[in-house]
Amino acid sequence: MVSFFSKFDNQHRMLIALGIHSIAIIAYQLALMQMLSFIQWHHFAYMIISIAMLGFGASGTLVVIARKWFINKAEWIIPLLMILAGLFMIVTFPLSRQEAIQFDVYLLFTEFRQFPKLALNYILFFLPFFFGALAIGLIFIIYSKKIGVYYFSNLIGSGVGGILVLFIFSSFYPEQSFPLIAILPVLSGIIVISKKYYKLQIVFSIIALFLSVFFFFKPSDIHVSEYKSLSKTMTLPEAEIIHSEPDVHGVVNVVSSPAMRYAPGVSLSFRENMPVKPSVFVNAEVFGNIPKHDDNAKFNIHDYTTMALPYVMNERDSVLVLNAATGNALSHALNNDAKCVTGVIENSAVIDLLKNDFSYESGELFLNPKVNIVYQESRAYLNEYRGKKSFDAIKLPLLDAFGGTAGLNALSEEYYLTKEAFERMWDMINDDGVIVVSSWMDYPPRNTLKIFATLVELAEEKEVENIKDHIIGIRSWGNLSFAIKKTPVTDSEIKKIRDFCDKMFFDPLLLPDISDEERVKFNILEDDSFFNYIDEIMGDNRDNLYNEYGFHIRPATDDKPYFSQFMRLSSVQYLRDLFGPAQMPFLEIGYLIVVITFAQSLLLALLFIVLPLFFLKRTGAGKFPTLLYFGALGLGYMFVEIILIQRFVLYFGHPIYAITAVISAMLLSSGAGSYFSSKIQNIRKNASKVNLLIAGFLLLYAFILTPLIELTISSDIVFKIITGLLLISIPSFFMGMPFPLGIKYLSDNNENHIGWAWGINGSISVIATSLAMLVAVEGGFRMVILIAMACYLIAFFAMRIYKN
Amino acid sequence: MFKTRFRAVIYITFLLPIILLILSFTDEYVQQREQMVENQLIPRGITDKNTLRAMRETPRHLFIPSAAQRRFAYQDRPLPIGYGQTISQPYIVAYMTQIIEPKSDYRVLEIGTGSGYQAAVLAEIVDEVYTIEIVEELGKHSIKVFDKLEYENVDVKIDDGYYGWEEYAPFDAIVVTAAAEHIPPPLIEQLKDGGKMIIPVGSPFHTQQLMLVEKDGDDIITKNLMPVRFVPFRRAE
Repeated sequence: MVSFFSKFDNQHRMLIALGIHSIAIIAYQLALMQMLSFIQWHHFAYMIISIAMLGFGASGTLVVIARKWFINKAEWIIPLLMILAGLFMIVTFPLSRQEAIQFDVYLLFTEFRQFPKLALNYILFFLPFFFGALAIGLIFIIYSKKIGVYYFSNLIGSGVGGILVLFIFSSFYPEQSFPLIAILPVLSGIIVISKKYYKLQIVFSIIALFLSVFFFFKPSDIHVSEYKSLSKTMTLPEAEIIHSEPDVHGVVNVVSSPAMRYAPGVSLSFRENMPVKPSVFVNAEVFGNIPKHDDNAKFNIHDYTTMALPYVMNERDSVLVLNAATGNALSHALNNDAKCVTGVIENSAVIDLLKNDFSYESGELFLNPKVNIVYQESRAYLNEYRGKKSFDAIKLPLLDAFGGTAGLNALSEEYYLTKEAFERMWDMINDDGVIVVSSWMDYPPRNTLKIFATLVELAEEKEVENIKDHIIGIRSWGNLSFAIKKTPVTDSEIKKIRDFCDKMFFDPLLLPDISDEERVKFNILEDDSFFNYIDEIMGDNRDNLYNEYGFHIRPATDDKPYFSQFMRLSSVQYLRDLFGPAQMPFLEIGYLIVVITFAQSLLLALLFIVLPLFFLKRTGAGKFPTLLYFGALGLGYMFVEIILIQRFVLYFGHPIYAITAVISAMLLSSGAGSYFSSKIQNIRKNASKVNLLIAGFLLLYAFILTPLIELTISSDIVFKIITGLLLISIPSFFMGMPFPLGIKYLSDNNENHIGWAWGINGSISVIATSLAMLVAVEGGFRMVILIAMACYLIAFFAMRIYKN
Repeated sequence: MFKTRFRAVIYITFLLPIILLILSFTDEYVQQREQMVENQLIPRGITDKNTLRAMRETPRHLFIPSAAQRRFAYQDRPLPIGYGQTISQPYIVAYMTQIIEPKSDYRVLEIGTGSGYQAAVLAEIVDEVYTIEIVEELGKHSIKVFDKLEYENVDVKIDDGYYGWEEYAPFDAIVVTAAAEHIPPPLIEQLKDGGKMIIPVGSPFHTQQLMLVEKDGDDIITKNLMPVRFVPFRRAE
C-alpha cells in the first residue's frame, strides 16, 4: 500500500500537486464567499458554502464505501479528480445563474419553489469541493504512513491560498476569479498524470483550460438579487453605473440618478432643494452618498437634522468621525467651522475613489487640508489613539440607516459600539467635548434603547454624578440624537437646543429640566412607552428592564460585540402578533440563517458520519474513539480559528487583512506542526500529550488572550505584528499535530477507518463554523474558547481509550 | 329552420357554461371583497363608511398584473407587481384611506401609483385623484387599467414624485405609498393648510412607520400611527 505512484510519479510531484490543489480549494471557497455576498448577502454565502464544504465529509464516506476500488484506481483517479474539481469550479457559477436554478434567499420564506432551487444550488456548489476533497482524502489514505508531510503540504497550500485570493480580489471581478483559480487544480492534476492512464485526463484538462479562458474573458451574467439596494436603485429614472471596480472589500459601484436625493430624516422646516448625490455601493449595498462639499455652502443638509446637535450646542474645532463612509459628516463638520476633522474609514477603495476619480464631484473633500482620512477599523483607531489624541466632538454614523442591513448584521461584530469602545471615546474627548450618536427611530424600540443604555452605563462607569445633566437627546419625526458630555450641560446650551428644536419641529427628549409635554410638541408617538423605557434606563430598575424587555437591549461588550442582535425567543409571539407570521423571518434574518445553516449541516454531517458505519461492520473495534477523536479535533480547531479571527480583527484593525493573516498564520504554523509530527514516534502517548498541551494553552487563552491584546494593542505596529503572530502561531503549531498523528495511528492499527476519520473531521469542521457563531452570541467568546479546550481534552481521552 | 335551431342549441350548449363560469367568477370576487371587508377591515377598526364602500366596490383583482396572482387578490397580504414593488395588503390601503378622512369634494395627490389600486379606492370617494409613478412600466400599466375601468377622475403622471404636481396644488390630502427617508419639501408646500399627508417612513428591509403629517398654519405636526413592514413577496410571474 506504500507508494502506488512509485511507478509513474514520485512523492515530490505528489506533494507539489497537493499543495497547488490545496491553494485552489481555499481560494475557490473565499472567491465563492465573495461572489455570493455580492449577488445575495454574506449569510447566504455561509449557508451555501457550509453545505458545499460537506464535500469533505462526503468524500470520506465514499472512500469508506469503495476503499479498495479507489486504492486500485488511485493512479488513474487522483489526477482526474483534481482536473474535475477545476472543471466544476469554472462551470458551477454560470450554471447557478440559469433562470431555472437562480435562487433568492429573501424569497425563501415566502416562495415554495425556492426550495428546489436552493437544493440545486447546494448540489452544484458541492461538486467542486467533493472532487477536490476526494483527491486530498485519497492522497492521505495512500500516503498515511507519511501523513505528516502530506498534511503539511495541504496546510501550507491552504495558507498560501488565503493570501493569493487577496491579490485576485483586488485585480479581478469575482466572476473572473473562478476560471482563474480553476487553472490550479487542473495544473496539479496534470503534474501527477501517469504515463499509463492519461487520455481522459488530457481531454478533461483541455476542456477545462478552454472553458477557463472563455469564462475569464466572457464571464456569465451575475444577476444581483432584486432586493439588494443596487438593484432597486437601478430602477430609478436615468440610473446608471458610472464607476465599477473590484476590490478586496467587495465590488465597488457608483450609481447616479437625478432621483437619488440624500436627506436622512431632514426637518420638515427645510424648504430648499434636496441635494442629488451619486451613491457608492459595496457588494451591491449602499455604502454612502458622495457629498458635494463646498466650504462656502449656504447650508449643509445635516444642519436640518438631529445630527447637528454637537454644533448647535457649541463650536467644535476638532471632530472625529467614526465609520465616516463617504464623508458626509466630514463635510458637515467643515461647514460648521471645524478646524481639524478626522474621518476613520475601513474601506481603502472608497478612500481612493474620493481622493482620485470622484475628487472633483466631492469638492476635493478628502484632499481638504483640514481633513485627515485614516484607513482603519474604527475601534482599532480608538484603541491606538486613546490617550494620544483628543477631540471636541466624536461622531458615530447614523444607526440603522435606510438601505442598511440591521437584520442582516445581527451576527456581525460591531466593536465600535461596545461599552469598551465608548470608554475609549470618553477618554478621547475634551472637557467640554461630546460623543454624539444618532439613530433612526425604530418600533418596537431596540437600537435607540440599546445605544442609550450604553451611554448611561458609560456615565456610571466613569462615576459621573447626576447623569441627567450630562446626557442630552433630541428627536425628529424619524430619528434621534444623543450627546454625552463630561461636564454638565450649561443653561446656554439648553437654550440653544430648545431654540433649534422649535425651529426644526424637533422635540427635546432628554434635558435636565424637561417636561412630559415638551417631549411631544411636534412629533407624537403611538404611546408613551418609549419615554417610559428611556426613564427606566436612567433609573434604578434598568436591570429589570433588560431582563423583561422583549429584546436584547443590554449594551454590547467586547465579549459579545453583537450590537444588532436583539431577538429573544420570548419576543417571537409578540412580533408575530404585531407584524404577522409572514414577516417574522425578516426581522433578524442574519440570526435565522445561521440557525438554519447549523441545522442543515448537522443533519447532513450526521448522514456522512453514520452512513460509513454500515460499511465498517467487520472492523468494528475503535469506532467510538475514532469518532470522538476526529470529531473533537474538527470542532476544536474551527472554534479556535473563529475566535482568533474575531479577536485579531480588533487587534490588527483591518478586517480583511486580519482575517487573511489569522487564517494563513494558523495554517502555515499548523503545517509546520504537521511536518514536525512526522518525526514523532510512540504516537498514542505523544498524541495524548499534544492534545493535553493544546487544552492547557486554550485554558490559558480563555483568560489571558483579551488582557494581552488590550495591553499591547496601542504598541508599535512591528511589535504588534510580532506579538500577534506569536499568539496565533504557538498554539496553531501544536494544533497541526493531532490530526496527522491520529491518521498515522489508524494507518498502523486500523487503516479502514482513515476515510471515515477524514469525513468526520471535515463534516464536524463545517458544523463548527455556524455553531461557534451561535455559542458566541449566547455565551460570549470565552465560552467558545472553553468549548474548544474541552474538545482537545476529549481528543486526549479518546486517544487513551484507543490505548486501552 | 332545423339548421338554425340546431345551431342555437349548439351555441347555448357551449356558451352557457362559459357565461355561467364568468358570472360565477364575478360573483366570487364580489363575495371575496365582502369577506375581505367583514374579516380583515372591520375587525381591525376600519369604520369609515366611505372607505368601506370603496373597498367593497373596487375590483382589486383587476389591478394585479399577474394572472397567476389574481386568486390571492383578496387575501390579507401584499402581492408583487414587479420592479421590486408590491400592491399593499387591503387593510393598509383601507387604513391609509380612512386616516385622511376623505370627502367627496377632496382633491387628493398620491405619490407612487404602483398597481393603481390605492388611487382607485380614493377615486370611489373623492372628486379628483392625481397620482404619480416613477417607474414608467408601472405607470403605463395603471393608465391602461384606469381607462379600461373608466375611472375618469384619476389623472396619472409618469414622473419623479418628489416634486408633487404643482399644477393642481394645493391638495386636501397627500397619500405617499413608497417608503422614504425624507419628506419632500414640495409635498409639504402643496398640502393645504389643515391638510393631511400619510407616508410610510423607513428602510425597505426594516420596520417602517406609517406617519401622519398635518399642516397647521406655520407648524407641522407628525404622528406615528403604526409599524408596517415591507416583505419581498413572490415576484411577478
